[in-house]
Amino acid sequence: MSPNKVKSEMSDPVLVIGAGVAGLTVAVELADSGVETVLVDRETSVGGNALNLYKAFPTDDCFYCFESNRSRPGIRKCFYRSALLDQPNIDLRVDTEIEELNGEPGSFEIRLKQGPQYVDPKKCTMCGACTELSDAFSLLSPQCQPQSVIFNPEKEDEGSSKAEEECPTGAIDLNAESTETTLTVSDIVIATGYQEMKPNQIDEYGYGQYSNVITQLELAKTLDPNGPSHGALVRPSDGAQVRRLLMVQCVGSRDENYHPFCSKICCVFALKHANIIRRERNGTDVSVVYMDIRTYDRHERYYREAREAGVEFTRGRVSEVTPLEDGTLDITLYDSLLDKYFKTNVDLLVLSSALEPSTGMTKMIEELGLESASGYVSPANLLDTEVVAGDHVYACGGAIGPAEVPESVTQARAVASKILQERM
Amino acid sequence: MAKTEEKTVPPVTLVDPIELSELDRDFREEIHSMPNGEELGACFACSTCTAACPIANSWDYKPHQLVRMILLGMRKEVLASDEIWLCLTCFECQERCPQNVRVTDILFDCKNLAAEEGRIPPNVAELGKELVEQGQLYVITADWEREDLGLEPSLPGLQTEEVRNMLKKSRTGRMLGEDD
Ligand SMILES: Cc1cc2nc3c(=O)[nH]c(=O)nc-3n(C[C@H](O)[C@H](O)[C@H](O)COP(=O)(O)OP(=O)(O)OC[C@H]3O[C@@H](n4cnc5c(N)ncnc54)[C@H](O)[C@@H]3O)c2cc1C
Ligand code: SF4
Ligand code: SF4
Ligand code: SF4
Ligand code: SF4
Repeated sequence: MSPNKVKSEMSDPVLVIGAGVAGLTVAVELADSGVETVLVDRETSVGGNALNLYKAFPTDDCFYCFESNRSRPGIRKCFYRSALLDQPNIDLRVDTEIEELNGEPGSFEIRLKQGPQYVDPKKCTMCGACTELSDAFSLLSPQCQPQSVIFNPEKEDEGSSKAEEECPTGAIDLNAESTETTLTVSDIVIATGYQEMKPNQIDEYGYGQYSNVITQLELAKTLDPNGPSHGALVRPSDGAQVRRLLMVQCVGSRDENYHPFCSKICCVFALKHANIIRRERNGTDVSVVYMDIRTYDRHERYYREAREAGVEFTRGRVSEVTPLEDGTLDITLYDSLLDKYFKTNVDLLVLSSALEPSTGMTKMIEELGLESASGYVSPANLLDTEVVAGDHVYACGGAIGPAEVPESVTQARAVASKILQERM
Repeated sequence: MAKTEEKTVPPVTLVDPIELSELDRDFREEIHSMPNGEELGACFACSTCTAACPIANSWDYKPHQLVRMILLGMRKEVLASDEIWLCLTCFECQERCPQNVRVTDILFDCKNLAAEEGRIPPNVAELGKELVEQGQLYVITADWEREDLGLEPSLPGLQTEEVRNMLKKSRTGRMLGEDD
């Protein structure tokens, strides 16, 4: 840093936008080093894309006990829980968005808007009494953090106010209103991740039209023992057991009409899912239609294991999807290696849909005067580290492009160390 | 040491490879330089075009193979192929191509190149001639059907004179009219 900068600015907290794996890691690393951190997420739970994902490559561990917690052994196995509850330097704000961004590098003025906190997560014990009385209360995921039920005002019914009265801890306030806070922060960390593209526009697959056409993220939730079907591989149309499943790679990725880039990790998680299904869901056939399988570096093992597990691979593309009365789908495929067209019937068609920048990224990149790379944050200097996006602005994880968890965590740690170096 | 008999027999040829250097390497550039060929080189052989094509099942060369042949310089084979003429010009391939290769338009350009070399399938040439000579493709033949519908036997006010004149002077007219 330049010597004429005033030291006092150093006491301003760091703003971390997005509480996925990357944002959580930055926040914890900084907080553990004594730096105050404001961690915001627009969702009501932290975790981002890693919520409800069941097993994670490369170790096949549960997502919530994965990678980042290694440096904090002995407290509790789960990194998120211990970090969020025990670390006083983290000011976590869920259901919060950045309303305004002003000021200058080193001293940004931020206006935050937090949605109404109907349920106080510090008081809620997740006893479940309110969810029995009213449909407006629900638990997003058993793994959600903060550990608390949420209230959806659109579903408010007669039971809602009774639940408010009867909550044993007095956690519910149905009259809660949204609040705004203005604060000054020294640095901004963009950890906004990515979102899976909804492939409605690619007509040949019928996504959004036929209920048994889903995405990989939707499949991940189905396979998750904590998910809606408790891990049973069933068809969305009628809950029937899936016997045959077909995956299609590169849906909306590597496609100039949607996203020109390779989403990088969809081959690996498609094969992870294929292997789980072959190994743990007896008797279900899995085929993968691909144009290239890109299981980069160490992940090649998932490809080999998939072949061993009996996953079928077709190098080609889908011609046509036709729904039948019984809910199954007739699929015509072109196999470019054999130069033959094939027909098959499946219960579930799973699309490996592109991973695109989170909603609002374009605006944020513009407001902070950063460079964009296909909508993701581009490094300020391509030859230097990829995590520096601008002056006192950093980015890590999915915010700079599709990335796996270990990569996101490594980048997040690089951000934390950059910020700490600046402050020395 | 026992002397082994030296043999200089050529190896048995198991395959009959195409000699790459004998291909027309300029063909790629020729198509690429045409307005529709801009994205030709972007093809990554995914075969989406072929998966989309409603008719390629019966073709010897599939759309993605034709694109590959153009890239390799197999000019003769592409321009002599039936496929470029069998294409329905439905644009399904072009619509779905993830790399914006203008597959249908490129097949069109190939037809033009083939035609300039005089390679027009007889049935297509026949249709072309009909068009140049009549100024229309579909001449009313079964006028009893029109009668049943209470229509006049011929199309009232149909004028093909101008069209005929124009077509005669067009490239199509020049190409097909000569042997008249
Ligand atoms: C189906 C699937 C399977 C996967 N399997 C694996 C696996 O097995 N192993 C592995 O290593 N990786 C896997 N991944 C990848 C993994 O999910 C990501 O690497 C990881 O979640 C990236 O974390 P992140 O923090 O960068 O982003 P995210 O998880 O996307 O988190 C971003 C957070 O930012 C919030 N946010 C976004 N914009 C804003 C904003 N403007 N204001 C406030 N908050 C905002 C979001 O709500 C979100 O909580 C998988 C991904 C998918 C889709
Ligand atoms: S009744 Fe109160 S403590 Fe129990 S789950 Fe609902 S909000 Fe939480
Ligand atoms: S990772 Fe695989 S499926 Fe995903 S875009 Fe790249 S090649 Fe396609
Ligand atoms: S769809 Fe496009 S990129 Fe794919 S093989 Fe056909 S021409 Fe090439
Ligand atoms: S335009 Fe021609 S090549 Fe393309 S899909 Fe239609 S028939 Fe097939």
